[in-house]
Amino acid sequence: MPNATERTGPAPGTPPLVQLKGIAKYFPGVVANQDVDLEVRPGEIHALLGENGAGKSTLMNILTGIYQPDAGEIIIDGYLKTFASPIEAIAAGIGMVHQHFKLVRAFTVAENIHLGWSETPRIISPQALEARTAELSASLNLAVRPDARVDELSTGEQQRVEILRVLARHARVLILDEPTAVLTPSEARELFRALKQFVAGGNAVIFISHKLDEVLEISDRITVLRGGRRVATEKTSTCNEKMLAKLMVGHEIVLDDLRACGTKPVAQSGEPVVRLRDVTVHDDRGHTVLNRISLEVAPGEILGIAGVAGNGQKELSETLTGMRSIAAGQLMLGGQDFSAAGPADFAKFGVGHIPEDRLRSGLAPALSITDNAVIREYDRASISIGPWYRPRAALALARTIAHAASVRVPNFAMPVRNLSGGNQQRFVARREMRIASKLLVAAYPSRGLDVGAINTMMRYFVELRDAGVGIVVISEELEELLNLSDRIAVMFHGEVMGVMDTASADIEQIGLMMGGQGTAAPSRMGAMVH
Amino acid sequence: MALRVQRFPSASPSAAIAARAVAIVLALVTAGLLLAAAGAQPIRLGQQVLRSTFSGFGIEDVGLLVTPLILTGLSVAVALRIGAWNIGAEGQFYAGAFAATGIALFVPGPGVVMLPAMFVAGALGGLIWIMVPTLARAYADVSELITTLLLNFVATLLVYYVSTGPWLDPGGHALATTARLKHDVPEFFGLVHWGFPIAVLLAVTLAVAFSFTHWGYEVRIAGSNAQAAKYAGMPFRRHLIVVMLLSGAIAGIAGMLEVAGTVHRLQGGISNNFGYLGIMVAVLARGSCIGVLAGAALMAVILNSGIVLQTQGVNTSTVLAITGLILFFTAIGDELAHFKITRSQPA
Amino acid sequence: MSDLRHLSRRRFLNLGAAAGSSLLLPSGLIHPARAATPLPAVAEQDAVIAFGHTGPVTDEGWTWSHDQGMKAVKAAFPKLKTLFVESIPYSADATRTFRQFVSENACMVFATSNYGDFLYDVAKRSPKVAFFECDGRNPLDNLGTYYVAHWYPTYVTGVAAGLMSKSGKLGYVASFPVPSVFSGTNAFLMGARSVNPNATMQVITINSWFDPQAATQAGTALLDNGCDLLFGIMDEAGYLQVAEKRGAKAVMWNTDIRRYGPKAYISSIIVDFKAYYVDQVKKRLEGTWTPSTTILPMGGGIDRDAWGESVPEEVRKQADAVREKILGGWSPFVGEIKDGKGNVKVAAGHHMSEQELYNWDWPIAGISGL
Repeated sequence: MPNATERTGPAPGTPPLVQLKGIAKYFPGVVANQDVDLEVRPGEIHALLGENGAGKSTLMNILTGIYQPDAGEIIIDGYLKTFASPIEAIAAGIGMVHQHFKLVRAFTVAENIHLGWSETPRIISPQALEARTAELSASLNLAVRPDARVDELSTGEQQRVEILRVLARHARVLILDEPTAVLTPSEARELFRALKQFVAGGNAVIFISHKLDEVLEISDRITVLRGGRRVATEKTSTCNEKMLAKLMVGHEIVLDDLRACGTKPVAQSGEPVVRLRDVTVHDDRGHTVLNRISLEVAPGEILGIAGVAGNGQKELSETLTGMRSIAAGQLMLGGQDFSAAGPADFAKFGVGHIPEDRLRSGLAPALSITDNAVIREYDRASISIGPWYRPRAALALARTIAHAASVRVPNFAMPVRNLSGGNQQRFVARREMRIASKLLVAAYPSRGLDVGAINTMMRYFVELRDAGVGIVVISEELEELLNLSDRIAVMFHGEVMGVMDTASADIEQIGLMMGGQGTAAPSRMGAMVH
Repeated sequence: MALRVQRFPSASPSAAIAARAVAIVLALVTAGLLLAAAGAQPIRLGQQVLRSTFSGFGIEDVGLLVTPLILTGLSVAVALRIGAWNIGAEGQFYAGAFAATGIALFVPGPGVVMLPAMFVAGALGGLIWIMVPTLARAYADVSELITTLLLNFVATLLVYYVSTGPWLDPGGHALATTARLKHDVPEFFGLVHWGFPIAVLLAVTLAVAFSFTHWGYEVRIAGSNAQAAKYAGMPFRRHLIVVMLLSGAIAGIAGMLEVAGTVHRLQGGISNNFGYLGIMVAVLARGSCIGVLAGAALMAVILNSGIVLQTQGVNTSTVLAITGLILFFTAIGDELAHFKITRSQPA
Repeated sequence: MSDLRHLSRRRFLNLGAAAGSSLLLPSGLIHPARAATPLPAVAEQDAVIAFGHTGPVTDEGWTWSHDQGMKAVKAAFPKLKTLFVESIPYSADATRTFRQFVSENACMVFATSNYGDFLYDVAKRSPKVAFFECDGRNPLDNLGTYYVAHWYPTYVTGVAAGLMSKSGKLGYVASFPVPSVFSGTNAFLMGARSVNPNATMQVITINSWFDPQAATQAGTALLDNGCDLLFGIMDEAGYLQVAEKRGAKAVMWNTDIRRYGPKAYISSIIVDFKAYYVDQVKKRLEGTWTPSTTILPMGGGIDRDAWGESVPEEVRKQADAVREKILGGWSPFVGEIKDGKGNVKVAAGHHMSEQELYNWDWPIAGISGL
């Protein structure tokens, strides 16, 4: 098997397989890509590195014809191309395997491979389909079981089917989005082996990831994106983890430093508003998603939770708001044991919750703005008399919240889903701030917002902090956390890798801990090295 | 200045009502054209329908039809409030009729005691019939769509069994039935029986409960987005169970009123498909309890017109087709109500 | 198709004439009119005669026969208007349909099946309209009942069945456990037992008078259980086709439908309401109509059909001899008759009256499944 260092560049004069020049893409209020150049050469595995929201997905959506760029050129094999649709990109030899597989679960592998493919014969028996699939599988050296139903397959096998599906359509550039996120280490090794074979034939792979160690292991060159721009393209042999983490996270501070502003209250009496002691939590299928977590938040303190999405942050926010029950350990709110309490008890105590997915859990999208405004206060005296609900009082409260959130509402009977994402978020935030007299838990509060809206949101948090409320902010944006929080906890695989004061925090250190390589938990290092 | 058609995310209430009215008129016109094409005289038939509907018997017939339709429509609409599809109103109707008949046949007592007892028994019968689907949905997430539907067949056969077997009235009929019940639901102003005002009152009570109580608010949230209800700490499962059981009980009451108010004997086929028609009523009403009153009235008039048309030699299936046309046009109308013609300056 | 039907009808009428019966009804079977004053006369051009049917008029059976009756009325009184509704369910919809007849100024309403309360509710509130309930038992001041003495031809065909069944196991496809079915099963088995004392009968009820699919399934199940001859009371030919396919025999009801199973066909209990309907309408128009309880006798509205091609001459002779005896006044329905539990239900020597036969509501010994 060829080693990365043994491989040499293409013969001089060979054009790059893919060349992107000055690509830009704007969404309302958001610059997704700006001035992005990318060159992918035959025979290379090119890693695309960046935090969530750095613009990797947008760039790849442009390359695969899902989006059209607002500026810039796409050059394939030396020819200028425009892709009006994904079909044209596939015809040009560009195929993508998405993070979430796009397979029909009830169909067999053979059926999935041949689905929507111009080369599929119009009339063909299942046996012939399976034979064709077996042939493809052998010629491309990707072992699959043609007659198996997709939902019987392991995730790794499903991924192989996806890759086979793309390669069967004669792709020469294979784009993989976070391919190892769903794989076991041995499945990942198998994948790497297949990828190296694929590029050895003069093809190329674009490998999207934010796991530093595997990027260093598999790629030949690395391009780092941040804030929609390319910040560096380097040969992998000249890179190391520290340097990449720094490139990814960046040094510049775009937002104001909010830690110092406002009138910070004098330190409250010792009792934290919330204290987790060795809390273990399972997901709906019984897997451990939080493992012996211990955390405290003091009144008037902002605790940032850093980490790559999917490492237990969502479950932590649910635990802190009573939505997820605790399997072991203890949760105290203001000195009282809330380990067995439900979300209504938490809300009554004064815990506000800005959930990760506002439309799915914080709001009833089809119901009116008024109905959504009072979801926290409908049974309080302002809205209710005895068992009776007063629609007029509810409307008044909705007006108050909309005003505070600067959301202009033409008609409060209109479904809340008609509001823009930013307006929904401010609306939910203001609603939750009303009840958050002790603690506010905000999961990814800036997701989907533009810079102005993010600043507003941050100011809300400072306002609450100054009023003596404890705040937990979960975010993937390290900059945001560094600017806002007093302390930062880093999560990885359901565990807290470490908690540090922001003032003395080392960005590189945080970046490493997010990748599971924190010094705070040295025992985990061995497990992460493939 | 350019005119363009724009779709708005929500329709204004006046546009929605206008779209409904136009849809119904268009459906009737289409039906008329089809009848004319089939050789009938739609104008004469229309006059006949109007004359019959507003005769003494006609109004009474519509009243008798509208009562079970309001209740089965409510049953489906109530379940929709919590996001559940009760396809089993038919079965619960039978179960309610069965339970009420059991009480009436085998428990002696004066009407003033027995009728309320039959009412309660009917409600309980419907409630028990939806119990298993409810618990299966609440605790095992089994789709209530299938379970409620399947239990319809069980209920139908159960009623056939008792009315042709153990409870058979040996008096002799073309269709085996039980003996005539000793207690009738009394007449209401000489027009229909008391079931009609009870059904209307129930619709209004439920409308008030859904709009003006905590419980109604919680059910609204839970029915629209279970995640949001969980987020707000509302007991989703408890609401689901209560509302589904309520839905079954209402269909059971419909069965009790039909057997004690209109048919007076338990027999196979007593439901007249009211349970299934209730689904149409609830869809026409878009899940609104007050809307159910209008939907049931419309459906009752259509069904009654169907009988008039049949005596004029028009086939039963034609009447069904007209019902379908109205639903079809209404669905299109509801969608079109979202569109407005706007004037925009060319940019 | 219609040729065949006419052919068989003619044959039936010939057969009736040969038996010496006329369109006049034997008075013994007509109960005296109730003490009601006749409804006033109606001019023929103003008269509206309505028919409410249980099945479709195209059923080639029960409803078709009644529809023939309506056509006879129309032919006799061409100026009057007729209305009919098919497939009326036994539910409150029936009430609505009968009310609609009244709303449309019908002066006579024939319910060609037993709609019970659904009909009475309307009759009681429409005293100026003459109502009729076929197979009814509850005459009112303006409601007469009528039926056919089907147990006699059924007994005759039962004799043939007893002679032709090899296993002695007879099958019966029933609608509901109602008197028409009990008198049918009992008469048929008694006829069969008169020639084969070991004959038994198995019954399957299908909860419908018109459900070809269910009747076919029931017929198949009965043959699977060892029966080799089927009888029933269906408005269509479902189980006849099963018998034909399986090489068994069948006795049918209502009309001559031998073309659905020429080899299996033994005979049919044939009904004819034409004369009765014309007679009643005539009375109503004349202003002499009062309600009566009528059971049309064998030869006067009910009879066996001409024998099927596979019925041997020997069998025909023996069964027809019984038929002659019955036409001559003899009745086979004489005690002692026991029910399935061995209780003596009809004492030895007791002659069952027409009313008792009409209201028979228990199965005799030898019948299972009812």
